[in-house]
Amino acid sequence: MRADGRAPIRPGPDEQDARELLRRCARDVVEVAEGIREVSARTSAVLFAPALTASARRRPRTGLAAQWALLRALTNKQGLGGSAITVPKGIGHVLGAAGEVLGRESLAALVAVTSLRLRIAAVLVDHPEFERDPGMRRLLAAVTADRDLETVRALRGLFKDQGAQRALSGLAPLMPELLAIRALVDEDPMNDETGWAPAAGRELPADPVQGTSASRLAGMDQGEGAAEAVDLTEQEKQTIAAEGSFLGFLRNIETLSADGRILVQNVRGPDGVVRYVVQAPGMAPGRPRNDCPQDFVGAWRNLVTADSPYTRSILLALADYGIPRGAELALIGYSEGGIALMNLAQDEEFCRAYRITHLVAVGSPVDNKLPADPRTWVAGITNQHDMVPVSDGRGAGSHFDPHPNRYEVDYTGPSHEFPLCHMLREYIEHLRTVVPEARKDIDEALTPYRGPVVRTQAYRLKDRAHPPEGYPFLTLPTTSVPTTAGPVDVPVRYYDSSAAHLCFPVDAEAARSLLPGVTWMMPSRLGRRALAVLSLYEHRCSTIGPYAEIALSVLVDDLWRPRPYDIAADLLRRVDLRRTGRYVLSLAVGSEEARVVAEEIWGQPAVRTSAEADLMGPGFAVRAPELGLAVEGHLGPGIRFREADRVLYGRRGESTVRTLVRAHGKLRLHTGSGVRLRLETAAAEPMAGQLRRLGIDSARPLFVLSCPQFMVHRSAGAVLPR
Amino acid sequence: MVTESTRAISPARASSLDQVVRLRADADLMDGCARRLLATASALSGCAAAPESSRPALERQAAACTTAAEQLRAAAEALLAHVR
Repeated sequence: MRADGRAPIRPGPDEQDARELLRRCARDVVEVAEGIREVSARTSAVLFAPALTASARRRPRTGLAAQWALLRALTNKQGLGGSAITVPKGIGHVLGAAGEVLGRESLAALVAVTSLRLRIAAVLVDHPEFERDPGMRRLLAAVTADRDLETVRALRGLFKDQGAQRALSGLAPLMPELLAIRALVDEDPMNDETGWAPAAGRELPADPVQGTSASRLAGMDQGEGAAEAVDLTEQEKQTIAAEGSFLGFLRNIETLSADGRILVQNVRGPDGVVRYVVQAPGMAPGRPRNDCPQDFVGAWRNLVTADSPYTRSILLALADYGIPRGAELALIGYSEGGIALMNLAQDEEFCRAYRITHLVAVGSPVDNKLPADPRTWVAGITNQHDMVPVSDGRGAGSHFDPHPNRYEVDYTGPSHEFPLCHMLREYIEHLRTVVPEARKDIDEALTPYRGPVVRTQAYRLKDRAHPPEGYPFLTLPTTSVPTTAGPVDVPVRYYDSSAAHLCFPVDAEAARSLLPGVTWMMPSRLGRRALAVLSLYEHRCSTIGPYAEIALSVLVDDLWRPRPYDIAADLLRRVDLRRTGRYVLSLAVGSEEARVVAEEIWGQPAVRTSAEADLMGPGFAVRAPELGLAVEGHLGPGIRFREADRVLYGRRGESTVRTLVRAHGKLRLHTGSGVRLRLETAAAEPMAGQLRRLGIDSARPLFVLSCPQFMVHRSAGAVLPR
Repeated sequence: MVTESTRAISPARASSLDQVVRLRADADLMDGCARRLLATASALSGCAAAPESSRPALERQAAACTTAAEQLRAAAEALLAHVR
């Protein structure tokens, strides 16, 4: 139910006919697929009926003919398909699995994939921004293969590729479709039911990937987790609410949301009874958190595998906190924290020990879960444009409401763009301004918890079962540096990036004229020319979020004692010993946080711009319409290049800032003949004028250094007295 | 007194006859599936947002449904011959 008492209605006033048609067709096609699957199942049952087997032994002439006709109907790839045999065990099961392994997909699965293609298209009508997502590009490349069999094989390959899974983890809107496709193309036909459920709008009967039963899943929810009591900082203590209230709990979660902690509080209610409130944050898209189970990759893992260390860690934290048996608890969770708390509420043993009176999930995919205690009051708050809450199988293309009696607020918020609309601060603001009645209703329901907070304890959750993301390259000591966009941990770590560095020989005097007006900063010379580099990056996952980056830089000599051929000698030195580097003339980035970090930490002149980058394949393209810049091309075969580490220089006031960049990935050197840069603006700023002055506004690069997938960390800038 | 007894149908044979009927019904259902897929392909013909490959895929799959229907009918006849 909505806050106003009406059933939630997903489509907004701007819904399009195309989307409706696609959804309707997808529904029709999936019904057909289900019909075909049922026919396959019934025919399999006839073929493997013990009575038929026995009678065929007695009268083999007609019996074997009948069995052959049934087998032919089930396995003909022009008909029901090679793996249409769906028998839970025995030779039938082996035959069905063999059909899938041999790539003879069942007709039912192929029809369902067609339906899912239509559903993906319907979601893209509403969320065209997802077409730019790297995971979506890879998915679309697989789904739109010309032949059905190729599609199924491409999808199977995609789901097995660890690198692709990281990219796919950003595709929350299509999670139900992905899970369905994944189960359908899996080589075990017994997983099909799991795939069919989201496709047909049913509740998930089992774990989406393994196809295990829900009870087995609960039994396997023993992932190794850990919880350690930690103190809040003085600044955090000031922001933690002293009184229990819904928005106060959410603000507490926002305070914690940076580094994977949960909060447990004692609240003395109006009746004088002390109750307990558990507050669990979620995940931040594109931002991994080291060694803690709350990052987006972890969420994907928790959603699609049976391993759930987050819930286990919360249990350990509560055990440490010392809540007496029979005490009343309210669980408040955001995003993945909501899922973890709902998993806790499903735990019958936990519910026997404690009384969970309330569970409030904000922006969480908890639709397919029910608490073990039917008295638990459950509330769900979702922004219709936030696609994370649909990742439990009730997708944007789905049309059913599994829990009509649950308090649900599914509102249309002003933030449409994902992931902005998934941010907790957006939800808090919307609860104040867009749906204040929902806040009032939930506060009213939480009345027993609305009193003074008498104890607060934070716990840091650890995920010992898996190495930290990026281990060991990105496992580094970090320091928090204050910026105007909030504290930023340095080194900044990039877990999944692509890059192409376009290297242009340019006029040395032109390059010199763009450098700061100091005598000691000179461009490195290669003969009579200097070298300018246009670096294009696609950062899919970093500690400052996902963004695209375009940087124009010039190679410069040692700032104190420039020598000829320094640049060649430096190539043989470790990056931390190098004296030459690249002075960043201008930088364009796709997020405000990245702009602030570049300006304030690295001293690089940065602007925020919208940019699309696709640098993962040999054919790459980067478009920044606001800069009037487009780069596209095709990289031919290249040769391995030594390393991608580099030194970047920027300026802050009268000082130079030196930043070490260390990369881990396979860098290749290509000729620049297949790459073309186009400048489609007459403006001089922010980057176009510099490109023109260097004479590279329409030139082809001499060579290109590319790295389709790598990890990188950038240190805090060291201020040099120069 | 003369008593007449009709030849009783064994439960196994009755079950097999049921299966024949079900196979025939499933063959009809597959024909219906083919018609629905073709109708969907036709509905999508004017939709620019639909993936290009979806129409030919639906037509291919409709043809497979028709083939499956024929093979199910053939299987039903073979099973009937065995049951008799």
